[in-house]
Amino acid sequence: MTSFNVIRWIVWKDFVTELRSRETISSMVFFALIVILIFSFSFSMDQQAAREVIAGIMWVAFAFTGIIGLGKSFSSELQNDCLEALQMVPEAKGAIYLGKVAANFAFMFLVEILLFPMFVILFNLEVVEGISILLLIFFLATLGLSAIGTLFSALTVQIRAREVMLPILLLPLVVPVMIAAVEATKGALNGDPLAMYEQWLKLLAVYDVVFTVVSFWMFEFVMDS
Amino acid sequence: MIACHGIGKSYGHFQVLHDVNLTVAEGECFALLGPNGAGKTTLLKILATLERPSTGHYEILGMHGLKDKDAIRANLMFLAHGTHLYDELNAKENLAFALALRGQHPTDLEVKQALDRVAIGAFTDMKVRYYSAGMKKRLALAKAMLAKPKILLLDEPFTALDTAGTDILREYVRERLSENGTVLLSTHDYDKTRPIAGRAGILRHGALEEIAVEALMSDDLV
Repeated sequence: MTSFNVIRWIVWKDFVTELRSRETISSMVFFALIVILIFSFSFSMDQQAAREVIAGIMWVAFAFTGIIGLGKSFSSELQNDCLEALQMVPEAKGAIYLGKVAANFAFMFLVEILLFPMFVILFNLEVVEGISILLLIFFLATLGLSAIGTLFSALTVQIRAREVMLPILLLPLVVPVMIAAVEATKGALNGDPLAMYEQWLKLLAVYDVVFTVVSFWMFEFVMDS
Repeated sequence: MIACHGIGKSYGHFQVLHDVNLTVAEGECFALLGPNGAGKTTLLKILATLERPSTGHYEILGMHGLKDKDAIRANLMFLAHGTHLYDELNAKENLAFALALRGQHPTDLEVKQALDRVAIGAFTDMKVRYYSAGMKKRLALAKAMLAKPKILLLDEPFTALDTAGTDILREYVRERLSENGTVLLSTHDYDKTRPIAGRAGILRHGALEEIAVEALMSDDLV
């Protein structure tokens, strides 16, 4: 129950500070918009060609946008040495990790939902039928990104070149998420039967469980080191 | 109670602390002096469970510093150079958040009384971003007042505090001592420390040497 309270308070704090500062989400949205616009003006595609490449473009934009948010997740704790206060929390550190994952997931998922209509408009996509399965793909892939990304955000926060180190360390580890998300998104956008890309959704779910558990366990060592 | 046994700390080849032995009893305030870079903050951070000693070990309230960290953290408050406050939250929100993470949930009345006691009751709804350094220090002190820790570690507590703030801090330290709390503070401000310190020691080249509290009057200590 106390751990649940810690999770709740961490999420509350991250939401309130973000609502007031608007630093993280605004920079994420702005960055993603630039990426989308660059791609949309760089390629002139019909709908069929767009469906082939849009999934890759979309997840490149989402992943790099997510890294911006993940980087800020713990660097914001350096202000007034608040990270020290988190390190001194008497509860198991896993609760802090889960709170941070929940907040990061919410920010990333929100940005993806805000940006997806831009992809639909600029790349002339028809997605009405597959919207629910697309939301499921977004959910699973974003959970995977935030689960491992939150751990690495904490791991790199005290490093001087953290802005560089976070993507260098994180991106190789999220390759399975990216491949699975791109393949599943491509299938959903093409209107393929679920059975054709179901294995990618299972891979995302397994990745989420494995990396959430491993990161939850490792977080205490990261915070104490 | 705090007990350090041969605490040493080095960063690479640089030895910051060397064989520090120190005991601070319940109801006692120990003043830690020393020039800049003497290792005062490092020692406080070790006792606050934020750093591991390179050699030696310590006990707080009879609990092993390296094995019983969470139990120690539940009984300890560290007022550091950084105030551990979030700029985008107001005073009440900062207190509610910090104390909730310790499993404490003070009532609105208790929060109001603490904020009034540190004389920032009129600024409770203002974001901490707009606070002065002294006001932030007072808010951190209010957090300690509400937490009522058995062990209080204070790193340069008088910095940024005005005369009234200093009086409030000293009164709070006396209160903790009267309730059998243990206080360890680092300072350069001997005049302000003398009225509350029961014992004192000076860190020189990483080694601790105990001195008489009366010596806190001396200007040539460090």
